[in-house]
Amino acid sequence: MRIGLLTEGGYPYVSGDARLWCDRLVRGLGQHEFDLYALSRSERQEDEGWIPLPPQVSRVRTAPLWTARDDGVVHGRRARRRFAECYGELAAVICGSSAETPTAEADRFRSALYGLAELARDEGGLVGALRSEGAVRALERACRAPGALRTAREARVPELLTVAGHLERALRPLSLDWYEDDGLGAVDLCHATSGGPAALPALLAHHFFGVPLLLTEYGVRLRTHYLAATDAPPAVRSLLAAFHGRLAAETYDRAAVVTPGNAHARRWQERCGADRAKIRTVYPGMDASPFAEVGESTEGAEPDTLVWVGRVEPAKDLVSLLHAFAEIRKDEPKTRLRIVGAPAGPEGEAYLGHCRALAAQLFPDEAEGPHSVGDNPVSFEEIGGPELPTLADAYAAGAVTLLSSVVEGFPVSLVEAMLCGRATVSTDVGAVVEVIGGTGLVVPPRNPRALAEACVALLRDPERRARLGAAARARALELFTVEQNVTAFHGIYLEIVSRTPVRRVVLDDAGEPLPFAAPAEAHVPGRWTHTATRVVARGGPSWAVRPTPPLPAAEGAR
Amino acid sequence: MSGLGELDHPGTPESPGAWDERSQQRMTTAETTSARQEPTTPRRTTADPVRALMHRHRDLCEGAVDPLEIAAGLEAHGVTDRTAARFRHRDVFSLAEEMFARAAHDEDPQRRTTPLATPRVRADWILLTLLPGTIATATTAALRLTHGQTRLTLAAAGTLALALSARAALSRGPLATIRPLSLTRTGPWTYWLITYTVLGDGLLHAAITGGPDAPPTTTAWPLTTAPVLALAWSLAPASWTTHLFTTRARHRLPTSRGLQDFATAVRPLLLGTFALYLSTLTALLILCTTTLPEPPAYAQTLPLGALLLLARLLTIHGFPRAPRLALAAAAAAEATALATSFAARLPGCAFLATPVETLVDTWGPAAVPALTCTAAALPLLIHATRTLTRASAHAPTEPQC
Repeated sequence: MRIGLLTEGGYPYVSGDARLWCDRLVRGLGQHEFDLYALSRSERQEDEGWIPLPPQVSRVRTAPLWTARDDGVVHGRRARRRFAECYGELAAVICGSSAETPTAEADRFRSALYGLAELARDEGGLVGALRSEGAVRALERACRAPGALRTAREARVPELLTVAGHLERALRPLSLDWYEDDGLGAVDLCHATSGGPAALPALLAHHFFGVPLLLTEYGVRLRTHYLAATDAPPAVRSLLAAFHGRLAAETYDRAAVVTPGNAHARRWQERCGADRAKIRTVYPGMDASPFAEVGESTEGAEPDTLVWVGRVEPAKDLVSLLHAFAEIRKDEPKTRLRIVGAPAGPEGEAYLGHCRALAAQLFPDEAEGPHSVGDNPVSFEEIGGPELPTLADAYAAGAVTLLSSVVEGFPVSLVEAMLCGRATVSTDVGAVVEVIGGTGLVVPPRNPRALAEACVALLRDPERRARLGAAARARALELFTVEQNVTAFHGIYLEIVSRTPVRRVVLDDAGEPLPFAAPAEAHVPGRWTHTATRVVARGGPSWAVRPTPPLPAAEGAR
Repeated sequence: MSGLGELDHPGTPESPGAWDERSQQRMTTAETTSARQEPTTPRRTTADPVRALMHRHRDLCEGAVDPLEIAAGLEAHGVTDRTAARFRHRDVFSLAEEMFARAAHDEDPQRRTTPLATPRVRADWILLTLLPGTIATATTAALRLTHGQTRLTLAAAGTLALALSARAALSRGPLATIRPLSLTRTGPWTYWLITYTVLGDGLLHAAITGGPDAPPTTTAWPLTTAPVLALAWSLAPASWTTHLFTTRARHRLPTSRGLQDFATAVRPLLLGTFALYLSTLTALLILCTTTLPEPPAYAQTLPLGALLLLARLLTIHGFPRAPRLALAAAAAAEATALATSFAARLPGCAFLATPVETLVDTWGPAAVPALTCTAAALPLLIHATRTLTRASAHAPTEPQC
C-alpha cells in the first residue's frame, strides 16, 4: 500500500516533535510504501535538515508553514466574487451569525473551506486574496451581522486584522501544490499525524480524490490552541476558537478512523464531535529493549531508596515530593531519595535551585558514625554521570519509583519505570490511571501525606513491591511497546483500505473508462508486485505462506 | 522568607508554597512531636464548592469565550475528571460548562487597547538618509571645482557612491521594504528617470536642434544637477514623512470602529504627508537652485519627487504592482520622446518628431519629463488614496516564529 504520511513540524525534521514515533512506524511497516508530506514550522527547523530515512520512504515533499509564497496571481472579477462568497460563508459560520442547526453550520463551513481550496487549485492567488482588504471586509460584515456572537460584535479593526492574519496562516495548506494525481491523489491512504494544519491536506485529498483519512492525535490540537492563545483579545479568541473547533469537527467527521493516544485525548475528541465508533485508542510505543536487563534481573534494588526521574520543572511539584519524603523519614528514617533529571529551561533551573535549598533545609546531612563524612538523604543527579550511566540504571537504583506531577500528559517516565519492573507511586493526573491500571499505587495530586503513606506501605512490603513490579512490567510490555503500536496501525491501515471502494477510474487511450482496470488485488496487504511475496488468501495452505513475514497482518487495537 | 518562594510558581494557583506552615512547624518543632500529626483543622467546605473553584480561577472564567477554554485551562491546572466528581460533575467539560454559565461575563468590558508596535526613530536610518544628500553635495562641488580627466573620474565615483548610499538609505528605516526584493524591483526605472533629469533636457534640446555635437557638461548640453541634489537631500524628509504616516496610521487602527472609519481618518493623513513632502522638496529645490546658479526646475522635479515617493509608499505597504507599472510607463515615455526626435532625422520620418517639437517649442524641453511624471504620478496618487487607506495595508507584520 502507498501511505501518505502527513506531518506538521515533525518527522522527518531533526528537531521534529513526533519524529521518533513516526520513524518507528515507517521502519516497522517496511511492507508499505510511504510518501512523506511534511510541513515545517520554522526556517531554523528547515535548515537543520532531516533524519536518515529508510528505503520504504519513496518520496518526501515539504512545504513551509512559517511563510507563504505569494504566487503573484491577481484574481479577475469572477474569481474575486468566488473568493468573496466562500470567505464570507466561512466568516459567517465562525462569527455564528447564521442562526441554523449545527448540521447546517457544519455543511456551510465545509462548503466554504472546500470552495476556497477549489479556488486555490483552479486559479491560484489564494494567499494574496486572504491577505487582501476584501477578506477583512468580509470578516467585518460577518461580525456586524445580526445574530453574531457577542464577542465578535466587539471586534474592532486591529482584531479583524489579527483574525484575518491567523486565518491566512491557518489556510496556507490550501495553496500547496500537493493536490495532483501524482501527489496526494496517488496514495491509498492519508495518515495525518496530528490535527490542525497537518490534517488539512488530508481533508483536501479526501475531498478531491476520495483518499481515506486516518487521524492520529497524541495531543489534541484544539486544546493546544486554547492553551496557546490566552492573552489575545476576546474577539480574536472566540473567532479563532470557532474556526479551529469547526475544522477539528470536520476532520473528525471526514476521518475513517481517529486514533487518540490516550483516554484524555479521546474524551476531547468525543467532545469535539468525533464519532465513538471510529475512535480507537493506540497507545504510544516505547522502546523496551534498554530496560529489558533491569526489568528481567531478579536481584532486588536497594530496599530503602526512592527514585524520581523526569525533567525538573514546576509542574512536577517536587516540593510536594520533598514534603512527602519528610513524612516518610519519620516512619522509615533510613530511606533515601534520589531525584534524577535535568532542569527544563531557565524556569526549571530556578525551580531546581529552589528544591535543592528546600531539601538542604528540611534534611540535615547525615553520616554513618562520628568519624565519617555525611551527606544529604536527598540527592539531585543527572543521567550520564559515573553512578547513573543510563536511564535504566536510574530506575534500577531504587526500590520504588515516584511520580509527583500536578500536570501530566502521557507519563513517559512512569512507563519506563513499569518496563523496569519497579513498583510505583504516582499522583492521579493526566493519563496516569489508564497507564498504570492496577499495577501501582495512585494518590491524589498535591497530597504529600497520601504519597508518604503509599510509599511507606510499599517500603515495608518487599513482596508486594515485587508483585506490583512484575505486573507493571507485564502490562507495559503488553500495551506500550513499539511493536503493539506498529501492529495496531498496520491493522488500522488494512481495515481502512478494505472498506474503501476503488476510486480511481482508469481511462483507456480513447479516454473511455476502463472497467476492471483496478483489480481488488490492488489492495492486498503487502507489496503484491514484489517477486518474493506470494499472496495467499486468509486460511489458505500453510506452505504458501512466506516462512517469516516481517510483520503479520494483525487486527488493529480496538 | 528567604525570597526563594518567589521562584516557585508551578503554575498551580493553590499549590502550597515552599514554606508553608508544615515546613515552619518542622523546622521549629522537629523531633519534639514524633507522633503523626493528624490534620488539626478539617478542610473548609462551603455549600457551593464550585463558587470557590470559580473564585480561584476567576481570571480564566471571566476571560473565557467558550466552555472548552475553561476546560483546557482547568486541565492545565491539574483538574481531572476525578476532581470534577467532587463538584458533582461527570467530567471536566460539564464542570467547565457550569463555570462558564455562572461566570460574570462583563457585557461592556473595558477595552484593553494595547498600542500596536510602532517603528522607532533610530539613529542609523536617520544618518543613512542624510548620506545621499551629503554625497551629492560633495560630488557637485567637486564637479564645479575640477576639470578634465579628474572631473570625469570624480563624476563617475560620485554617481556610484550616490547610488550605493541611496540604496543603503532605502534598505533601513521607514522606507525599507519587508517583502521579497524580486517583487519590488523598480530600480532600473528609477535610475533612468533620475538620469533623464540630469542629462535628458539638454540631450532633447540638442537632438531637436541637430546635435548633440559635444559631450555633456558643456554649454551646448548642460547638466542640471540641482534637481538631483534636491532629490538626494529629500530622502531625509521622505523618510520622516513616511515614518509619520506609518506611525499615525498604526495609532488610528485601535481607535477606529470599522474599516470605513479607518479609511476616512487615514485619507487626510496620507494627503498631508504627501503635501508635506512636496513642500520640503520645493524648499530644498529653491535652496539648491540659489546655491548653484541654475535655472529653477520645479516643473520636472516636483512631479518626479511625487512619483518616487508615491511609488515607494505603495511598495512598502505591499502594493508593488502599480508603482512598477507607473515608473516603467514614465521611463518609456521619456525614452520614446528622445527616440522619436532622433528617428525624425531618418529620411521620410520627420513627422515622428512633430509632437515632441511642438511640446518643446511651446513650453521648453522641461515639458517632457514634467508631463510624463505628472501623468504617472496622478493615477498613483488616486491609487494610493484607495489602497493606502485600507486597514490591511497597515496590518502589523506577523512575527516569524
